[in-house]
Amino acid sequence: MRIVWLFLSPLIALVAGVLLLGLSRKIMARIHWRYGPPLLQPVIDIIRLFSQRSASHGILFDLGIVVSLAGSLIITLFLPFGNIAPLSGSGGMLVILYMMLIGPLGIALSGGESGNPNASIGISRNLMLAIGYEVPLLMVLLAVMTRYGTISIVEIVRVQQASTWSIASWPLVVSGLAYLLVMPAMLGFRPFEVVQAPQEISSGPMVEYGGSYLALVSIQHALSLYITISLFVNLMLGGSGNIVIFLFKMLVVFVLFLFVNAVFPRFRIEQAVRYLWRWPTLIGLIGLVLVALVGR
Amino acid sequence: MDRNQLIKWLEAPAKMGHKYSLHAVYFCTGCGIIEVPPSITARWDAERFGVLPTASPRQANLFLITGYVSVKTLKAIIRTYEQMPEPKYTVGFGSCPINGGMYWDSYNTIKHLDKYIPIDGWIAGCMPRPEAIFVAVTHLWTLIDKDMADGYKRYRKYYSQYRANQEKVLLGLEWPPLFPIEAG
Amino acid sequence: MMVELLLIVAFGGSLLTYVLGKLSSRLRNGFALLNALALVIMIGMLYGQEFERSLPFGFLGIQFSIRMNMLSWFFAATILGIGLLAVLYSFRYMKGKERLDYYYFTLLFINASMLGTVVAGDLLSFFIFWEMMSWSTYLLISLRGGGKAIFAGIKYIIMSLVGSLAMLVAIVSLYTAFGTVDIGELAVHMQSASLGLALLVVILFSITFVIINALWPFHTWLPDAHAEAVSPFSAILSAVLVRKGLYGLFLLMYVILGFSFLDRLAVGAISFSNVLAWIGAITIVFAAFRALLQNDSKRILAWSTVGQGGYMVLGVSVATSMGMAGGTFHILNHCIYIALLFFVAGAIEHRTGGIRDLDSLGGLIKKMPVAFVGGLVGIFGLIGLPLTNGFVSKWLIYKSLILEGRPFLAFAAFLGTWGTILYGYKFIHNIFLGQLPDELRDVKRVPFTMAVPIMVLVVLVFLFGVLPGIPLSVVNQVGTYMGFEPLDLNVWGIPSESGTLNVVNLLAAIAVAGFLVWLLFKTLGRSTRVDQSDNYAAGAAIPRGRYGFTREFYAPLYRIVSPYVKDFPDALFLWIADRTKALGGMTRKIYSGYVGSYVMYIVLFLAALVFVQLTWSPW
Ligand code: SF4
Repeated sequence: MRIVWLFLSPLIALVAGVLLLGLSRKIMARIHWRYGPPLLQPVIDIIRLFSQRSASHGILFDLGIVVSLAGSLIITLFLPFGNIAPLSGSGGMLVILYMMLIGPLGIALSGGESGNPNASIGISRNLMLAIGYEVPLLMVLLAVMTRYGTISIVEIVRVQQASTWSIASWPLVVSGLAYLLVMPAMLGFRPFEVVQAPQEISSGPMVEYGGSYLALVSIQHALSLYITISLFVNLMLGGSGNIVIFLFKMLVVFVLFLFVNAVFPRFRIEQAVRYLWRWPTLIGLIGLVLVALVGR
Repeated sequence: MDRNQLIKWLEAPAKMGHKYSLHAVYFCTGCGIIEVPPSITARWDAERFGVLPTASPRQANLFLITGYVSVKTLKAIIRTYEQMPEPKYTVGFGSCPINGGMYWDSYNTIKHLDKYIPIDGWIAGCMPRPEAIFVAVTHLWTLIDKDMADGYKRYRKYYSQYRANQEKVLLGLEWPPLFPIEAG
Repeated sequence: MMVELLLIVAFGGSLLTYVLGKLSSRLRNGFALLNALALVIMIGMLYGQEFERSLPFGFLGIQFSIRMNMLSWFFAATILGIGLLAVLYSFRYMKGKERLDYYYFTLLFINASMLGTVVAGDLLSFFIFWEMMSWSTYLLISLRGGGKAIFAGIKYIIMSLVGSLAMLVAIVSLYTAFGTVDIGELAVHMQSASLGLALLVVILFSITFVIINALWPFHTWLPDAHAEAVSPFSAILSAVLVRKGLYGLFLLMYVILGFSFLDRLAVGAISFSNVLAWIGAITIVFAAFRALLQNDSKRILAWSTVGQGGYMVLGVSVATSMGMAGGTFHILNHCIYIALLFFVAGAIEHRTGGIRDLDSLGGLIKKMPVAFVGGLVGIFGLIGLPLTNGFVSKWLIYKSLILEGRPFLAFAAFLGTWGTILYGYKFIHNIFLGQLPDELRDVKRVPFTMAVPIMVLVVLVFLFGVLPGIPLSVVNQVGTYMGFEPLDLNVWGIPSESGTLNVVNLLAAIAVAGFLVWLLFKTLGRSTRVDQSDNYAAGAAIPRGRYGFTREFYAPLYRIVSPYVKDFPDALFLWIADRTKALGGMTRKIYSGYVGSYVMYIVLFLAALVFVQLTWSPW
């Protein structure tokens, strides 16, 4: 059974991620008073991209993408998905935190190899944005881990199942608020859509990607949406013992942030980092201090 | 989607992909580009046809030449076209790219664009309304279906002629040939 | 006799190298390599032995003694291993430079004296070896000559002297209190020592070890020293020399004082290990952000050395067996990847004609693939990505911090890692990625003798990352020697119930997923290789010469953080140095050299005496 889930859960994550991507385009269109593309438009795009002949800039250009997608696929094995977490016993949250680096780093290496300054600017923005939101995020994660006294995410979900969701329990509600504030940045949604910024830096790290490269990056993007939201649901909304309910929770969270995305313009990178280091960090710090004071 | 569409998908997924996911390079040549913003935003919503503007030619497969082409612009057009991955489709948009339009006697405007890059279809008008873009897109679909949108193949086949024409009007190019040029 | 032989071979070898260098340079190189190799083999044979023996001679009536145990062995092995690679690496790197006999002699001599400090059985010989190490380091930092090198050397030697003096005072006070400086005996005596004495000794020793370990606020000598030192020596400096500070801390905290005594050294929440932990945390964050602002390949690495020292101290000061294992393992891991990175930076410097400025490099992946692999793997280890060795030790440190309920320290550690990603990527990007500038078109590959150390270290990074059980079992023995519970281990990781780490799962998952994605990519995608000049530039042909984004890679972030991460300690020390010089200047004004003014001083002094006598008549 475990072997089956080892292969099934990345697949489900993939499908869910791509559907979320399609849904986001549809919902965005409806908010803009447009009709919008079909729900499966991302799939059509990916099929088209795979059938195109593209330009490669070297071995690292290829390998970076492959590693990035592989890394993203693997995280889905560590994240509990409903009641299933095939590899959760291999290091817990710390491994997840580190594995979440592989995706962006792979793309950063590959994009850097493309030799395009736009790509380099995009990557530098991506890394700066990452350190921007990691500061509050790490505070939130540490608050959760300290509160439950464990680094195993399965354990965290189980405790929440037995009592209440973290976001509804006393000291963690503050951390939950900080987490909500940084989620758009983690998802790459506006007002933090500084990395791709098609109008100024020609879609940033992806400027030289065409064909199968772009297809893999799109898949990776879909997966990273899935991973980010799934982490939030697991840590804050109590995960779930049931796959359907779990996916439903993810959908609700996703649509919530989509609404933010649809109506906002974009920060400059500097403003984004300043914002992230001001309000979410302050709230996250208060949350962490509270947890340290209240204890387990 | 009707039923024979499904069968088509199964028969030739790649072709259907090319049809329904036309990503256009956001490249502004002449005044025609002013019609593109309304067609991709709420009023006409090109996205329901799967048409999206992209920032970089590497990600695109549709090239709209939106207006008069000066000699200087031609160089950028050729460069952009060559960087697009195959298969790729080009559409001349407006009278200017077709035959020079109101600039028919200008010394600095390219009159016959298809001497320099292959064009798959033309939209006449000065300037054509956004609806015309969608007519063109649906027309391009039939062309792709019938394998008649083969500009990129022509470019490969007759590359030496195209390159010669390009070099003649631009007085030399700064980049090496895209394909090997056979002698003679 | 093995240890004595080891010391004799080490010191004798360095002298003999110098003598042989006068005869022929080939002979010298060969002998230096053989000597280093012999030392590695000998230390390998000493594995697992534990003894303490006094030597037949002494100094000032104090018997010298030597000791060998797992702690000493662990440090000695890192010293000699890195020493061997550095000697091999030096052959090509130093070729054609001046004063080579002197260079090899000093290099081997530093190794020998470091070896001496870890096998010294009493504090006096420890001190003597320590001084030898400091002075020879000073000589090697200033090897290149010129104002900057001398300045960096002076900066180092002054800070090191302050440290040595503190240590000397501590040793003397220990000697006056107990009449012995033998480490084993002191450990017994210390249990009955008064708190005041213990506090004095701990603070004095800590100053020494914090300075040599380059922890905040005494880190200021390291970046300058690295910027001036030659690369093989930088590797030794960063990988093993600064870690002598940690050896000292181990010796002080867990061998001489012991747990129970350490616990008594606390006033409320302020205990020795807490203070140390916070120094470590500050060091990590400060160094990470300082490294972001650097633009010189070796300075970036120097700051990363400073920061990684913070992790070790964090792990050590948590004082659980997991934290201790993490800290100790991190010493080994850091010594591997930082040496690797310095070798890579040196190879770049060697082949590009001395370029270290990150703004003028780029695209070298196509020209120097070996250096690229080395750099990438080193940076991955530094960040601590899974399957590299840095991951395991950092995992242990984080986990012990979280489980001990110290989220703020853990936060500092995490934040440092994210800073590491930023500067690590900058290092890789600005040197190897992007467009190859015209002036670097005919850069050659890394020469063979420089590639060998790089490849050896690359393999080690992965080996220790995939099979962490092997080095961890040694680390466990070190921990056991210092009185910690051994960790539960297997070859692939840590199967304990409080949180498992299983690297084999990770390895399998990454391998399978990578393979599947690669298959997908290869079967579905078709691509043609294009030249770097075929690149999107809004329809234009890209400009020739330089085309890339390297300058001020994180400019917006600089603007935000630079007001907060000024190097205040450095400024303070420089200010003190400046004042001292001014004071010297004032004194010189008094001693003006004119006989007349001396006569005037005497007359004035006598007048004052007479005045005092007449007024108060004290005499
Ligand atoms: S066809 Fe008309 S609108 Fe289009 S570029 Fe020519 S002049 Fe302008």
